[in-house]
Amino acid sequence: MDDLSLEKIEISGSILASLIQRASSSPSDVDGLIFGQIHRIVSSNLSDDSPADSLASSDQIVATVTSFVCTGKTVSFYDPLGRVNSRRVESLRVDSPDRLIGWFSARRKTANRPSMRESAVTSSLSSQFHLPIEDSQNPKSTNMASCVFFLLTTPSTDQCIHTHEYRAYQFRSSKQRLEPRSVGIVNIGPAFRGHYGSFSPKSGFPPLICELDSSAMIVDRDEGSLGAKKQAAKDQKEIDALAEGLQVGDLKCLVGAEAASFTGGIEDMYEKMLAKIQSLASDVETSSAFLFQQEKHNRKLRNRVARIGR
Amino acid sequence: MAFEGFPPLIADQLHYLLNHSPDSIKIENVWSGNKINPKILDRFTLVIPYCLETIKWDVIYNSEYAFDPPDFVFGPDDEDFMPCTSTITPDDDDHISSLKKALSEWDNEDSTRLLVLIQGLRDQYVAYQRRSVGQVDDDRVKFEISTVLTRKGIEMQRASGVDKPEEVKFAVPLVMDMNINKMVVGCPWKHQQKIYLQVVYPILRKFESTASAPRLRLVSSSELKALFSVEDVKLPPWMDGMCLAEYLPHLEETLERQIQEAVSAIDLRRSFIEALTIFLGRPLEANPTFCRQATFLTSSGQFTFMVHFFFSTQFPKQQPTLMLQSCQHLNQSSVPVKSNLLSEYPWSPRWEVGRMAERLCDFLTDEAVNFKKYCNEVVLQH
Repeated sequence: MDDLSLEKIEISGSILASLIQRASSSPSDVDGLIFGQIHRIVSSNLSDDSPADSLASSDQIVATVTSFVCTGKTVSFYDPLGRVNSRRVESLRVDSPDRLIGWFSARRKTANRPSMRESAVTSSLSSQFHLPIEDSQNPKSTNMASCVFFLLTTPSTDQCIHTHEYRAYQFRSSKQRLEPRSVGIVNIGPAFRGHYGSFSPKSGFPPLICELDSSAMIVDRDEGSLGAKKQAAKDQKEIDALAEGLQVGDLKCLVGAEAASFTGGIEDMYEKMLAKIQSLASDVETSSAFLFQQEKHNRKLRNRVARIGR
Repeated sequence: MAFEGFPPLIADQLHYLLNHSPDSIKIENVWSGNKINPKILDRFTLVIPYCLETIKWDVIYNSEYAFDPPDFVFGPDDEDFMPCTSTITPDDDDHISSLKKALSEWDNEDSTRLLVLIQGLRDQYVAYQRRSVGQVDDDRVKFEISTVLTRKGIEMQRASGVDKPEEVKFAVPLVMDMNINKMVVGCPWKHQQKIYLQVVYPILRKFESTASAPRLRLVSSSELKALFSVEDVKLPPWMDGMCLAEYLPHLEETLERQIQEAVSAIDLRRSFIEALTIFLGRPLEANPTFCRQATFLTSSGQFTFMVHFFFSTQFPKQQPTLMLQSCQHLNQSSVPVKSNLLSEYPWSPRWEVGRMAERLCDFLTDEAVNFKKYCNEVVLQH
């Protein structure tokens, strides 16, 4: 595993915004893991000179952050000495689609430099975890350590114009130090094309078996067998996760002979998906309220233990 | 000193640190990192003496999670100082293990823990600076390091900035074969007094061919000023091509002699004060240990006044300063009228003590008349 230098670290605007929101809405300092990919981008210099010269293309390695997980507290997946507990890291990264690329720490009203513990954690994390460098031209990819550290702080004095600061660092194991790297914010626009592949859509519709030559009459024929019923139930369950009130049978009007009323069918599906989102949102609200009460209670207990009076 | 606003356990640790640390650590800023209750303070900046100057470290506790030890943010020039990462040279093993123990076995109810942590980190910092200075590409510095490190307690610092030229500072404790505390009768000092030499070597830049002489400065603990002022010491000159191993013994000899003279000067001052008692009676107040100050109550006819004497460490070369204070006149702020500091009167260091006292009192007799007139004027203006 070589100790390569990252050119820059890219993060999409929405992820940075949600990182900052998560950090500023928490009552204390927080940390968490960040996930993403590392690409090798070959930028060649086009010139009219002989082909031998134009091979002088620069090889850039860029890290892209695509998601994160916030633990809600500090000293979460490591101990106060900065040693990372890999089991806790594994339990935190269960659902993420991408690979572990590093971690972040958010501290209020402190200097914008890595602290003693943060340097130790980044060093420990980069020695325990690694991810492959995606390279479209070279299928035999090399590995790189998960060495990205994102630091979010708020300014120490109150007289500043800005309210949040962030910096990104890469830990170089050959030099044993944290080097700052520039952060590129990727927003949707012409520059986004290259990153489209890194941001895979998360609400993909599951593949369902569909018979093209079916008509309304043949639908009844197959529903009798047990295997078909099981399959239909399974498909329905998958659809219920995405839309409310949409039946499997309704999907058939989107393909084949029935596709004449395509628009109506799509609109219907879209409405039902929105209804699902609505019910999900109200679920989230009630559980958030409950969570907030629980957090308040926990804080009272912690304050009691630390003997902080109200 | 009460630390209001800190949670009680953190305040305990802070108290202990400030009262028991061997170096005088101070607090500069305190603030809160708590969003919900910003009155709970849990962050502060410590100003720690190092290499005869100070370094600042931010200590970050988390009031929401009181069981965790604090985190530290070091100064902006010390990006490479990472005491917790494990790749450090083997001869620092003792330091590392005590620091690691302090962090991993943190007990937030034990008030001594913060002091242990800070001392461990400071020791690590000394080692880090030593390594950093060892990497400087300068033959003179490398030579000095190899010869002078047999002394214990040397601290080094590498100072470089964008605009400043690169320099290396050494703080060398001077070893003199004397215990100053024991030499002074009735010495009130709690700690051993020490004198340090600060040596600043400018690092040769590419266009310079010869190394310029280092800047030298003597620094002593502040209590020593009552006996002996290091600022009055004329440092021996640094010859071309000299090194610390040659310079230090010479300096230490000079200082030993001067300190012994300063101690015997105490006796001289004491005998002068005793000589004054013949003319002015017993003093109202006098400092018995260092004899730097004495106050007498005296009168000139019906006019009663006090005379304050201030002796410098250069007595008798430098004559004492007098100040008269009336017992019968008050000025507008209801404060007794005082004269200016008088130091121009007939004096010669070669007189013997009795004669000095006699001539001084003659001067006082005349000066009392002037002072009485002055006091009356002040009261009339009121």
